[in-house]
Formats: sequence, structure tokens, C-alpha cells
Amino acid sequence: MTEPIFDIAVGGASFCAGVFGSLIGLGGGIIITPLLVLGFGIDLRYAMGAALCSVIATSSGAAAAYLRDGISNMKVGLFLCVATTVGAVCGALLATVLDQSVLAVIFGVALLATVFLSLAKKPGPRILPEDSDPLAIKLDLPGEFPGQDGTKSAYGVAGIVPGFCVMWVAGVLSGLLGIGSGAFKVLAMDQIMRLPFKVTTATSNFMIGVTAAASVGVYLKKGYLDPALVSPVALGVLAGAFVGAKLLAVAPVRLLRVIFLTAVCVIAVQMIRQGLR
Amino acid sequence: MNRMTLLLARVMVTGTMISAFLIAVGLVWFLSAHVGENPGDHIFSGEPKYFSNPIGMVRRAFDLREVGERRSVAMIGIFLLLLNPPVRVLLAGAGYVLEKNRLYVWISAVVFTVLAISFFW
Repeated sequence: MTEPIFDIAVGGASFCAGVFGSLIGLGGGIIITPLLVLGFGIDLRYAMGAALCSVIATSSGAAAAYLRDGISNMKVGLFLCVATTVGAVCGALLATVLDQSVLAVIFGVALLATVFLSLAKKPGPRILPEDSDPLAIKLDLPGEFPGQDGTKSAYGVAGIVPGFCVMWVAGVLSGLLGIGSGAFKVLAMDQIMRLPFKVTTATSNFMIGVTAAASVGVYLKKGYLDPALVSPVALGVLAGAFVGAKLLAVAPVRLLRVIFLTAVCVIAVQMIRQGLR
Repeated sequence: MNRMTLLLARVMVTGTMISAFLIAVGLVWFLSAHVGENPGDHIFSGEPKYFSNPIGMVRRAFDLREVGERRSVAMIGIFLLLLNPPVRVLLAGAGYVLEKNRLYVWISAVVFTVLAISFFW
């Protein structure tokens, strides 16, 4: 295979990953890396670098829409970014010293955990602003979000300390594996901090790009970013995510979820096997 | 806050679009010079081949010798892409400066510092 054909194939695969990722609510990064490693035989480190850039691209592209709608809670996002960015730098540094086979196994396990989390996605009970964690009130985190009829509903924020700690772990995973770790961020904000689901997804999208940027610095230094690979992957995933978001209204999302999550499980097992070999 | 949020949203969309455009142009330009060559992404070379920090990226992108390799346009696109999140934090911080919200000016500053350290240590 020659370079142009290779890049077109990589771009096409990234496009598909972007479409399916946005259709079933998984980020592009966690799908594209195994695809590049298992499907194209690309070194895991280059794959992680390219995936992380695509994560930044989709996060930047989509965060704008969320911001304009006024759903995302910027204070929660910025405050938790302290945890995720520090975690991401730790994770990225860890990735540079760990053996590739170990990384592949951890990646497979994280992939399985992501599938599990997205299946078990049952929104936790909401809380009122006055029932918030005292620390949340000190940090001025409770907010309100616009409903469909234009009325605003206020919400409280719970579990600041445990939420912050889980966010640190999400950051570590992001840096370690070159993923956005959106599923883990949503877990922390939804189940622990009890934010409304819409606020959670919008805010986590804002954070994903910032977290990924913290890891990218380390990846750059270690030479994980190859422009010849980053270009087709980032473009493909970005275009795919855009198309996927448009298809969301008409696609048989439930059926796709079942098919695709099964496929992701198979890929996860393959990654673990590759690591153990 | 609202005007700042709108500005933030606009900067992010425009930035992403410009960087995607540059990456696309750069990719086509790069590939047109490498027709018939084998892809080299399979084996990790260990050392940063092309750039190791944002300043290095820009410097190499504008290095005339690099033009022969035709990676420069895509590299500027990738650079703009990576710049997006720090700018996001910076604008959010600026919004809190205008609001005189000292706590969140500090929090934004901490996040920005972590990003800066990771890019430039």
C-alpha cells in the first residue's frame, strides 16, 4: 500500500469511527486507536497521539454549540479541569515509561469499562441547589439550565471531593491511553456530583478538549505526533462526528448501539490479546 | 458572561474550521509529493521526528527547508487545533476578570498554567 492510499484508508476508517462514535455517544478516540493498531498495524503510540488530536478537534467543534445553548456549566468545567489536566499530565508521563503491551491491556480493559458505563447509563437522582455540598456552594457551582419551554430550572451539585478525585482518574486515563475519557467524566458528574444529564454531557465535552491538550504536550515531547498520521485521523473523525450528529435524528440508534457496542467488546478483547501476546 | 460565551463559541468554531481546512490542504499537498512511497507509520522511531513543542512546530512550519517535505501547512493546522483548548481556558478566564470573580480567575489561571507546563517543560 502506498502513502496516499494508506492515508485515504486511514481517513475513511476515522470518518466511520467519528460517525458511529457520535451516533452511540462514545468519543472518537477510544474507537480510532484500536482501529489504527489492529487494522492498520500502526504503532500504539502514534495511534494514541493521532487519536488525542482528533479528540481535541471534535471537542472544539461541538463545545461551541453547547456553549451557545448555555447548557454547560463553565464553573464546574473549569474547576474539574484542575483535576483532569493534572491527571492527564501524570497519565501521559506514565504512558511514556510503561511497556506497550501493558498499555494495550489497559486500553482493552478501559474500552470494556466504557461499554459497560454507556450501557448502565441511568441518570442518578437530581438534587436541589439548597441540598448542595457546602463546598459546592462555596465554589458557586450550582446553576440553572434552560428547559425546552424557555423556563430555567435550578440544580444543585453534590460530592465535590469524590467527584474531583474521579476526575483526576479520568484525566490519568486520558493521558495514559490518548482518549477523551468522556464516559468516565460523565460518570463522575452524573452519578457522583448529581448534575443534570444535559449539563453533564455539555460540560464534559468542554473539558475533554482541555484535558486532551494537557496530555498532548507530553506526547509532543516524546514524538508521538506524526503529522502524516494526525492529519487524516483528525480530519476523518471531525467530519464523521459532524455527519453522525446530523444522522442522529434519523438513524436507528438503538439497533446501532447494540451492534456497535458488541463490536467494541470484540475489539477490546483483541487489544488485550495483542498486549498479552 | 453571555457576550464572552458567544465570543468563546465563535472563536472555537472558527478556529476548528480554519485548522481543519489547513490540515486538509496540507495533507493533499503532502501526499501529492509522496505518491508511490510506502507509509512509515508502522514503526515508532522513539525520537520526536517533526516537532516537540508548539514553538518548534511553528518554527519548522516556516522553515524553508521544510517546504520541500511539504508538511508545513498541515503542521500549522495541527498547531491551531492544539491551540484551541488553551485559548478556551484563557477566554473563560478573561470573562471572569471582567466579572471580577477572583476565585474563578485563579482557577482558570491554574488550569492554564498546567497546560502551559505540559507544552513547554
